[in-house]
Amino acid sequence: MSICPPYAPFFGFAGVASAMVLSTVGAAFGTAKAGIGIAGLGTFKPELIMKSLIPVVMSGIIAVYGLVVSVLISGSVLPDHYSLFAGFTHLGAGLACGCTGLAAGYAIGLVGDSCVRAYVQEQKVFVGMVLILIFAEVLGLYGLIVALIMNTKAISVDVC
Amino acid sequence: MSEQVAVNKVAADAASTAQLVKLLLFSLSLGIVPIASYFGSLEYVWNGNATYAALTAVVGANIVLVGYIISSVLDDKRETSSPTKETKKTQ
Repeated sequence: MSICPPYAPFFGFAGVASAMVLSTVGAAFGTAKAGIGIAGLGTFKPELIMKSLIPVVMSGIIAVYGLVVSVLISGSVLPDHYSLFAGFTHLGAGLACGCTGLAAGYAIGLVGDSCVRAYVQEQKVFVGMVLILIFAEVLGLYGLIVALIMNTKAISVDVC
Repeated sequence: MSEQVAVNKVAADAASTAQLVKLLLFSLSLGIVPIASYFGSLEYVWNGNATYAALTAVVGANIVLVGYIISSVLDDKRETSSPTKETKKTQ
């Protein structure tokens, strides 16, 4: 039972894939759900569309978080001298970023949809909407920070 | 009356083209800025420290987001102030 088996990069690349895929699923749900609300708003007040696209941009940022973590982890995975510990850590980092991105995208979608519909009737909802969206986005940021910390731990330990 | 409607329509078309271009620029920069800042800062600023480079990319993406929010709010203020100026001129 060696510390650096040849199948260790499987877990590392599984972390890369899960970071990108899961955060993209969250961003897609956020974009789609908010886009439904914006399409409904556009029939009544087209001049409000530019401000109501903010949930869509924030969903894009969630996908960017997943992209950054994927690029970061895939830069550290090696074919040789890559321990199983590093593989598991990279898998955990990718899952942390991906699942929090999924949660953040889900929240942004639901909040964006209903707040954008309320914005048609009451203009003062805008500031509240931006604040709620920022809090939903920070959930994805927490996952990214944990992924960064775990990645630092994976590449710092050198065992074989 | 119909002349004013036509002028307003031309102005609205020009404004919507400008808005579309601005939206396109923000979408492209949201894709390009994080990756470019990650690899650029990894190479030239942080001397290979990948964690700081990732944090730089995240800060860059959030700067693009804040820029979009500010520009949409300023757009809205400009649009709500210009129709009142037009009504003052007609009076």
